[in-house]
Order: sequence, then C-alpha cells, then structure tokens
Amino acid sequence: MGEGRLSALAPLLLFMALMVAIGLFVRRRAAHGSFVAQYFIGGRDLGGFVLAMTTVATYSSVSSFVGGPGMAFSVGFGWVYMAVVQVTAIFLVLGVFGKRVALLARRFDAVTVVDLIRARYGSDTLAALSAFVIVLFFCGTMAAQFVGGANLFATVTGYSYGTGLVLFGLVVVLYTAIGGFRAVAFTDTCCALVMMAGIVLLLSYVLHAGGGFSAILAHIRAAHPAMLTPLADGNMPVGLYFTQWLLVGICTVALPQSVVRGISYKDTHSLHRAMLIGTFVIGFMNIGVNFTGILAHGVLTGTPADYGGVDFVIPQAIVHALPPALVGFAIVGPLAASISTISGLLIVAASALVKDVFLHHAKKSGREVKPRTLRRLSTLVTAGLGTLVFLIALTPPSLIWLINMFAFGGLETAFFWVLLFGLYWRRANRLGALFSMAGGTAVYCAAQYFGLKVAGLHPIVTGITASLFLFLLGTFLGKQEGEQNRFLFFPKKG
Amino acid sequence: MNDYEKYRQVRKEAAATGLLLLVLIAAWILLGFGLAQVDVELFGLPLWVWTSTVGFWLFAVAGVAVLVRIVFCDMDLEGGGPRG
Repeated sequence: MGEGRLSALAPLLLFMALMVAIGLFVRRRAAHGSFVAQYFIGGRDLGGFVLAMTTVATYSSVSSFVGGPGMAFSVGFGWVYMAVVQVTAIFLVLGVFGKRVALLARRFDAVTVVDLIRARYGSDTLAALSAFVIVLFFCGTMAAQFVGGANLFATVTGYSYGTGLVLFGLVVVLYTAIGGFRAVAFTDTCCALVMMAGIVLLLSYVLHAGGGFSAILAHIRAAHPAMLTPLADGNMPVGLYFTQWLLVGICTVALPQSVVRGISYKDTHSLHRAMLIGTFVIGFMNIGVNFTGILAHGVLTGTPADYGGVDFVIPQAIVHALPPALVGFAIVGPLAASISTISGLLIVAASALVKDVFLHHAKKSGREVKPRTLRRLSTLVTAGLGTLVFLIALTPPSLIWLINMFAFGGLETAFFWVLLFGLYWRRANRLGALFSMAGGTAVYCAAQYFGLKVAGLHPIVTGITASLFLFLLGTFLGKQEGEQNRFLFFPKKG
Repeated sequence: MNDYEKYRQVRKEAAATGLLLLVLIAAWILLGFGLAQVDVELFGLPLWVWTSTVGFWLFAVAGVAVLVRIVFCDMDLEGGGPRG
C-alpha cells in the first residue's frame, strides 16, 4: 500500500466516510413504523429528486463510466449514438410500472417485486424462482462492479487492487447493511451528483490537455475518419444498434432493481418529477462520459491495447489529463457509479432472501418472528451477501465483464413478460409465467453458453423471444386461477 | 377516482409511455442514420453527431415533459387493503 499516492486517496476516504455517516443517520431516524417496509423500501416516502437519482445511479454501473467510454475511444461517435438509447430507461420503467406497482404494493402490503408476483399469480414456486433468479444474477452483477471499481482504483491511485476492494467494497456493504433502502436512496443521490461533477471535471481537463475541442477533432478527423460515421467502418453494425435497444433500452423496463423503486415514492407528483429529472440526468451522464472517452484522443495517442484494453482508457485519461492533486476527485465519480449499483442490488437481493423466502415461510408455518430478530437477520443477510460477493471479487473470474452483461440479459429475459403481462393482461396465468421465467431463462443461458446468435444478434433476442412464446403457450394451456386476486389486479366498472 | 378509474388511467399512461418510446425510436433513426449523409458540420462535427446525441436527448426530455403534463395525472395512491 506504501507506493500509492495519499493525495489520490483522501477524497475517496472522505466520500466513503460520508456514505457510512448517511447509513448511520438513516438507521437512527428510521426507528418508527414497520421495520420491513422501512428497511427494504424506505417507508414509501421518497420525493421526486431522490427517486430519480436512485433509479439513475442504480442503473448506471461502473461499466457505463469505464468500459463504455473506453469503447467510445475505440469506435467513435457511433458508440455515443448507441449509448444514448439509454435516455429511455428511466421514464419507461417509471411510466409503465411506477404507478401500477405503487397502487398494488399499498393494496397488498408488498415491499418487493417478488411480493407482487406472488400476489398476482398466486404461486409460491414462481415466487421462489423469482427470488432465486434475482439473487443469482445480482451476485454476478455485483461482483463485476467490485472488480471494475477495484481495477480503476488500482490503476489511478497506485495502490493495490486488494486495497481498493477493501476500501470501497467493505464500506458499501457496511452502509447498506446498516441503513437499508433509505440509506441506499440517499447515498445514491450523493453518488449521482458526484458522477455528474466527475464527468464535468474530467471533460474539462481532457479538453484543456488536448488543446481544445477543435484541435482534438482535427486530430480524430485526420487519424480516424471512420469514427465520425455511425457504422464506424463496420465496427458498429446495425445489428448491434438493434440489440442495444433491447438490452439497455426497452427491456430494462423489467429490471427488478428499477421496478422496485416504483414502490418507494410518496406520491404521484414525485413520480412525474422523477421521470423528467431522471431522463435529463441519465442523458447528461451518458453523452458526457462517452464524449469524454472519444475526446481522450487528445491526451492518449496509442490504441486501447497499448493501455491494457478499453477498460483502462478512462483511468489512463484521468492520470494523463488531471493534475495529481485532482486525480482523487476524478476517481470518486466512477467509483460512485460502482458503489451505487452494488448497494441498489444488494438491498433487493437481501429482501428476496429475508422477505420473500424466510418471512413468507415463517408466516405460512405460523411462526412469529420477533422485530428484534428480524432487524438483526436483515442486517446480517445484507452484510453476508455483500461479503460473499466481496470474496468472489478477491479472486475475480477473468470474464467478469461478460458475466455482467450476461446477468443483465438474464434478468430481463426472466422478468420482462412476467411483469408486463402480469400487470396489464388479465388472461396471463401462473403456468405462462412459470414457463416464461424458467424456460426463457434456460434458453437464454443455453444461447449464451453455446454462443447461439440468431442472425448474428445478441442472445437476449433469443431469450426474450423464447420467453414470450413460452408465456403464451403456458397461458393458453393453463387454467385461470386466483379469481379474487385477478379482480383486485384488474378492477371492473361499477 | 375509484379503483376502476385509477386502473384505466394507469393503463392509459402506460400506453402513452409506450407510444412515446415508439416516437423516440423513430426520431432516433431519423436524427442519426437519417442525417448521416448530410454534408453539414457544426463546431467541427458532422450534423448527425449533434442531432442523434444531444438533439435526441433534449427531444426525449421534451417528450417526457409533454407526457407527464398532458397524459399523466395525480391520484391518491392509498386505496386501502385487499377487498373482495
């Protein structure tokens, strides 16, 4: 640890201390009301600004800040054109599901997405499968965040990978376990603000170090003219644009970590504000950070391979463009993207185990769980899950970034039709939902494993199509069950 | 609003959100691929780069502003417990 730069470490230490302080503060303030609702959903009283920021921060991972701009450096403006489809992600999930899940969650006293799935389809098997899928894929995504963040930390500060992992990895587990969803929402808000400030800081220094916007563009035009075209000499095929619309645009509407935010806000005015603020913020981040990646040509003259791959372009740009005293501030932005995603996923994964599995079975078998036990168990499970992922990240699998995208597509395949049809199609039934979630996810995993790409498209296309077909098949083969709940989900006139 | 009216309104809002998505997809194609051959530059960059990134983003923000102002409406989220 001795060879690192302390000046690069100080801002991060301060930021992490602030995150823990927020966790402790929230834990103290949240002593009233139902513990489960407070811990896992923040008492349903988030305002529009915090709702927007927590949804954006959880969605925007470290790969949006490191891998994405690195690819933009390599490919050019076609990458920004592709990445900008993500401006649809926030208004889509809040507009389609925000009010629907808020109303239903209050009606059924639901605090998780799995609660709603159980209430809609009346199936414990489907609920257990949903919880399993969430925990499995979330662990993969969280591990990728830990690894990405620690790599970035090591490259920029000069300290070791392990030091970075311990420093920010354990802190995020700590404050999430202490403060629950409310701490996640408030720390996410800080993280989103820091991400935006980090982009502005890095962009301005990259422009300055590269001799200004015009000079950098003149260099790109002379050395890489294909970077100014949408197809980038075949590096950005139309099929890639199409699959990205599905993977990071349309299908993100069903990501459980985003949908659960629909349960957390206080009133519809807040939801409407969040849709607008969230769309503005996610666009600002995506365009800003990817433009920065391209403009890094002003400070980095080699190819991504010369710097160790696309993931090292932004860390190297930080080191090359910023004065040493500011390097520590620039790294806080991308690390904030990492920790906000980890905390957002961790609390949902913990709720799947505590609320959807343990509490449900305790209630079913007539066992009473004391509030004190529940409080301790929730904290322990959150901390335990986080620690498990932390341990996986200590010896990271070599294909960790692929695991991240694999998990993203897996969650979308599992939940897209189950949620969309479940909440808006009266005829949807449990057999269709079971077929869709189990079969669709299995087809998606098989397509990934065997490298099956229909017409050269990402396996998400195969997974989501199979999931749709299986849902319709199950719905037409299965019986209409749980009429009472169906009436509550789809009220009739009069 | 009773439960049925709320459900109808929420369905209408979800459909309008989907419609906005379709409009945005069309705009995205038009502002990017549609203008890629236009030989006009702005601040040293081809026009399509500005329109398909910053232009598309601002168009999306305007679209969401119109959506929440015209289609979405405030409602009471507290509807009581399960009723049969």
